[in-house]
Amino acid sequence: MGRDLPFLIPEILLSLAVVAMLIAEMVRMARLALWFGLAGLAVATVATLPLLTTDTTVFGGTYRIDLLSGWAKLILLPGTALALLLARAEIAGQPREGSVYSLLCLVTLGALMLAGSGDMMLLVLGVVLTGLGSFALVAYPRDDAATEAGMKYLVFGAVTGSVMIYGLTFWFGGAGSTLFSNLGALEGKPPIAIAGLTAVIVGLGYKASLVPFHFWAPDAYDGAPVSVAAYLSVITKIAALFAFAQVLRDLPVESNWPLVIAMISAVTMTYGYLTALVQTNLVRLIAYSSIAQSGYFLMGIVALGASPFAIPGLIVLGAAYVAMNLGAFAIILLAGRGLDDIRGFGRRRPAAGVAMVVFLLSLTGIPPLFGFVGKVYLFGAAIDAGYLWLAVIGILNSVLALGVYLRIVVPMYQSAPDATESFDKPSPRSLTAVIGVTAVLTLCMGLLAGLLPG
Amino acid sequence: MPLLTIATFLPILGGLALIVLPDRSARMAHGLSITVTGLVFLITLAIWSRGIVPGGFAQVEEIAWIPAIGAAYRLGLDGLSLPLVLLTSLLFLLSAIYSARISARAPSYVVLMLMLETASLGSFMALDGLLFYVFFEVSLVGMYFMIAGWGYEDRQRAALMFFLYTLLGSLPLLLAILGLYLSSGTFDMRAWIDAPPLAGLGAMLALIAMLFTFAVKIPAFPVHTWLPAAHVQAPTAGSVILAGVMLKFGTYGLVRFALQMTPEAFTRAGVVILAVGVFSALYGAFAALAQSDLKKMIAYTSVNHMGYVVMGVAVAALASDPAIRVVALDGAALQMISHGLVTGALFFLVGMLQDRAHIRDMGDFGGLLNRVPWLGWAFVVSAFASLGLPGLAHFPAEFQIFLATLDAQPWAVVAIVAIVVTAGLYLRAIAAVFLGEVNEKWTAMPDLDRREMLVIVPLLFLTVLVGVAPSWLLNMIHTTMASLSF
Repeated sequence: MGRDLPFLIPEILLSLAVVAMLIAEMVRMARLALWFGLAGLAVATVATLPLLTTDTTVFGGTYRIDLLSGWAKLILLPGTALALLLARAEIAGQPREGSVYSLLCLVTLGALMLAGSGDMMLLVLGVVLTGLGSFALVAYPRDDAATEAGMKYLVFGAVTGSVMIYGLTFWFGGAGSTLFSNLGALEGKPPIAIAGLTAVIVGLGYKASLVPFHFWAPDAYDGAPVSVAAYLSVITKIAALFAFAQVLRDLPVESNWPLVIAMISAVTMTYGYLTALVQTNLVRLIAYSSIAQSGYFLMGIVALGASPFAIPGLIVLGAAYVAMNLGAFAIILLAGRGLDDIRGFGRRRPAAGVAMVVFLLSLTGIPPLFGFVGKVYLFGAAIDAGYLWLAVIGILNSVLALGVYLRIVVPMYQSAPDATESFDKPSPRSLTAVIGVTAVLTLCMGLLAGLLPG
Repeated sequence: MPLLTIATFLPILGGLALIVLPDRSARMAHGLSITVTGLVFLITLAIWSRGIVPGGFAQVEEIAWIPAIGAAYRLGLDGLSLPLVLLTSLLFLLSAIYSARISARAPSYVVLMLMLETASLGSFMALDGLLFYVFFEVSLVGMYFMIAGWGYEDRQRAALMFFLYTLLGSLPLLLAILGLYLSSGTFDMRAWIDAPPLAGLGAMLALIAMLFTFAVKIPAFPVHTWLPAAHVQAPTAGSVILAGVMLKFGTYGLVRFALQMTPEAFTRAGVVILAVGVFSALYGAFAALAQSDLKKMIAYTSVNHMGYVVMGVAVAALASDPAIRVVALDGAALQMISHGLVTGALFFLVGMLQDRAHIRDMGDFGGLLNRVPWLGWAFVVSAFASLGLPGLAHFPAEFQIFLATLDAQPWAVVAIVAIVVTAGLYLRAIAAVFLGEVNEKWTAMPDLDRREMLVIVPLLFLTVLVGVAPSWLLNMIHTTMASLSF
């Protein structure tokens, strides 16, 4: 136990920060809560750095301190800080402002648990912790749309969560242990392996919004505040996908599950982009695009045991995705939710317009932007693992993706029919900061990709 | 001094400087654009003076980039890429001079132009598969915004079609590059050329992917349909860059990637590739014959001329006599340069005509040779060059291609019909626009001014020079082609 604690410093620091934030919120000092959160996230990020090269487990093998969970912290903690700033720009001065900040940090704690889980119990705990906080966050505005979205999200989550717990009992029965590292014992018991895997696909597929468990996502994102939608679309999604990788890393390949994941991957990206092609609400459009992006992540999970590029690919695309998707949501916060609202935006706000173009091209996977590097790794991993057809589908979808994202770019540079005043109001400083940071990251990290793991 | 790197990144740095500069007037933007492209042109001349070496790449510059996966920043030159680099820097300089009259959002226009120059030079000089792909794709983005922002009536649709089409075209190349990488463990193109890592089915799949990419870019029948739309709607300088520089990515890639990295599969597929080349050449000529829009007509003659390049490369792969191979490749490489010079001049001239008349349909003109003799004669010379008249730039190139074809695959010489058709369509265009009855609408049309002369005269001079005395250029190309291993 005493040995374990130093490895958990980031998590402990974040928990302390959450406690401090809750106290600040109790005395109605929302700004203070925000600062506690930002400081806690920053300190926890720094505390992660020395742990990056560690590869060990704590608490009897149930919690993994490895490359994937280390980079998860390095991606999710700063990502949460950006989401806090977004939230500040959107809900500053509203009642219960501080509880949003505290909940965001608390959900991130759950996300870290997911990304590092080495045990079924911990996986369930992570799913529940991220879930409970997210339901409340979605329903925060207390209007009809938000309440409905929160309700839908909750019901969906409750059902998929219980399916997952039910299925995991098969694995426990078959392997005789809740540790993922003992899943090798399932070798020769395909029915049990498949039962448990199906359940995990349902549970984590819901969290990562994979088709066909994605139905909640567009409604929840649209009903929630934009900043919460931005947060859910990156932080909990990446946590779920990393958890997926942690689980499947140890599952014997004998029942050919990578093929099943590959098919889900193909369907998810194709369905996501095809549906995004007809959306007129920007939040829903990006929601469907983020469903499609989950499909790309799955390419890495398909290649987990077969290619050395799978884990680096997941990490690089994860980092890129946080930057570009948060950036795109930040612009939506600035411009408005409708596809018509953004007409002429690029001409009135040239800098923000260029930033949006950068985010969208990076989401498409155009070089030399950050998203391209991630996709190259994952395409390479898929080919390496013998899934050339999946890479071909991924590439065809990239063309579809361009069609989707150009639907935003084209009106941005048309002249607005009547001058939209909303473009000219000064944007909050925290929003400018988020856009600036994410744009610089998206632009430059592609070229500095050598710094990333590989 | 790393001149290759400086030449590649000076334009984009100039663009960044323009963004942060407080003075963003059109005058300032164009001044900067001409200065930067002029400097780059001088640097490429210095690169030329340093020379190349037979059998391999010269002036290599290398820096680690993503060492974990064997990708590095690698630039270098040989006799195939050096002429293209010179052509690129020249056409960008001339485009910058020509564009100096654009006043709508001039700084953005200049930034895009400079970005395109970096991408184009980088594509020709990259010796790293991943780096090549990066430059290759960045050029698409730049051209998309150029067409969408400064094009003519139907620009949005044309730009969208261009972007989607060419992205769909270029992504298979990424798969091929990944395939080459996974079987060799490096992104170094020199290693892929020296010892082609793929064989058998893998090589054939990679070749098919690459051929698809480059056929879209060249463009060859049947994946050429984006070209007329993009060309007609693009602003004049955009058309010049698109035809003069960016189409060459396709033919350059055809030699550098398809022929050099999957030589065995290329030879096996050689007859099919040759047939595509022959058909493209014929199709381009006949399609051009059917156009009355001058810009569209010239766009289709590009399909025709690039078809000859494809023929040359395919013949080189099929020929058994090494001497014939070299003749075919020399011709194909020279044809790329000739096409850049001649078609560049033609697009500039049509653009100048359109600046004056705001229309491009040849039926609406007539008898212009007496009104605007400089413009008229320049067009006549360029048109004659384009139809392959001896003494002008296309002749030595097409002569060598047909010579090699006649020797190796005599049936393919049917493509020579295309030259007759091209002659017919150019004579028709000259007759309709510059001869015949004077259309009274254009009696006040001014002739070329000094800026326009500055753009056209160097191109005409080079067209004649390459036609009369191509040896200075051919020697450079020949040095590499004679020792090309495939």
